[in-house]
Amino acid sequence: MQATETEEKACCRPADCRLVMLLESSIGKKIMVALAGLFLSFFLLVHLAGNLFMFSGAGAFNHYASALAHNELLPVAEIGLVVLFLVHIALATRAWFINRAARPVGYQVYAGKGGRTAGSRSMAVTGALVLVFLLVHLKTFRFAPAAVREADLFALVVRRFRSPWYSAFYVLALGGLGLHLSHGVQSAFQTLGLNHPRYTPLIKKLGLAFAVLIALGFMSMPIYFGFLGGAK
Amino acid sequence: MADKNEQTMNLTLKVWRQKGPQEPGRLVEYKVTGVSPDMSFLEMLDVLNEQLVSRGEDAVAFDHDCREGICGMCSLMIDGRAHGPDSAATTCQLHMRRYKDGDTVVIEPFRAKGFPVVKDLVVDRSAFDRIMMAGGFVSVGTGAACDANSILVPKEKADKAMDAAACIGCGACVAACPNAAAMLFVAAKVSQYALLPQGQAERDRRALAMRKAMDAEGFGHCTNEYECEAACPKEIKVSNIARLNREFLRAAVSAD
Ligand code: HEM
Ligand code: FES
Repeated sequence: MQATETEEKACCRPADCRLVMLLESSIGKKIMVALAGLFLSFFLLVHLAGNLFMFSGAGAFNHYASALAHNELLPVAEIGLVVLFLVHIALATRAWFINRAARPVGYQVYAGKGGRTAGSRSMAVTGALVLVFLLVHLKTFRFAPAAVREADLFALVVRRFRSPWYSAFYVLALGGLGLHLSHGVQSAFQTLGLNHPRYTPLIKKLGLAFAVLIALGFMSMPIYFGFLGGAK
Repeated sequence: MADKNEQTMNLTLKVWRQKGPQEPGRLVEYKVTGVSPDMSFLEMLDVLNEQLVSRGEDAVAFDHDCREGICGMCSLMIDGRAHGPDSAATTCQLHMRRYKDGDTVVIEPFRAKGFPVVKDLVVDRSAFDRIMMAGGFVSVGTGAACDANSILVPKEKADKAMDAAACIGCGACVAACPNAAAMLFVAAKVSQYALLPQGQAERDRRALAMRKAMDAEGFGHCTNEYECEAACPKEIKVSNIARLNREFLRAAVSAD
């Protein structure tokens, strides 16, 4: 009965606090990474929908951008995004280091039996690529001088995309994001405990379709305005 | 057929040799001769050991017991795959007809922080026993055998519980996992009880305690690579891992 007594006092010890457990335990950490990842995926969809105004010309896009910038709730959404990114990156990175330590001596030969995919293998690399992209992306657009942004954001975007290096980096990073999501979206459902013989195959297909949609959707802009010389 | 069976093979083996837990190890190359295609992989290692001993060399230590795929004692990473190239089979069920004369085979121990090497190919898998001691049981007094229908169990649940209970605890899931995670094992054990009425009383406590024991042994985090399911000799499904995640989440937010 010793075990039961210590169990009952458990909530006083930080390691057994339920909130700490959700951040510290292996499963809890993964649940938080998955939740943050799904919210970020939803954000990507909204962000893409807004950005596609680029194809409606400078007027429509600048109107959308200025409406967004003047929305009083924007700071709330931005803080939410920062928190989601921090939670996702911090916990996923911590899990990655723990996983490397879980096999201190590696195999001389490791082949596997076909469980892994290109996406699942490269989650850490694609995640890091997305992080670098995110920093570059924020610096060029979100933290561009206010005067430049407010004058004509459309022109700023087109000007940046006219640099082939910049656009090539965009396309590469968005390919990485697509790969990240190709594993991540369906994986998050499994992590959250949603696995069903009838729906899991569908979730896997939709997850992949979502990844392709997001990657191609965002890529369309550097390709059209950069490489194809759109909006002359 | 008879002719083919009489033909024996000569193989080159690269075997991990390590004198003790703290000693450095390395792959050592051996030639093994006169291997029959009818032998199991373990019998082939027996032949190797006979040849080593007759030359006055130290036999290769490896784990085995039932040699019929039910005890979970045999292990081995064979050419980088847990329990070798076949699916749904243990190393003791792997036959040498899978190989041909002149093949080179690399044999390494299961590797994980939670499975330290004892000697050569033998690893200490008692971490699994400690995880079971944390919650892999039902501690109600069952009394005398009662009427079979006094506790009703739906057929689908009974099937799923039986599928989970097929786990023999060999550790191939850990060995195959890129993260050395023990989720498939723990998921199978948690599931076999969570699905049955007898497991309900300790359901929450079990999920929390077994997760905690699993992390304490130094196993990794699941990233849903599904190499465990592919390597499992008993074909335990990753849907059990989803159930473990649900059981954990349920217990974490709702247990007393
Ligand atoms: C918009 C940006 C991002 C989205 C939508 C996203 C989405 C996801 C999703 C859905 C998962 C799956 C969670 C699970 O397996 O349960 C995931 C996992 C992961 N993410 Fe991200 N992520 C993003 C950015 C990043 C960044 C910036 C990093 C790192 C610097 C990163 C690193 C990882 C890692 C290491 C994993 C875990 C690998 C695994 O579970 O296989 N992610 N991400
Ligand atoms: S020796 Fe018993 S399962 Fe292989």
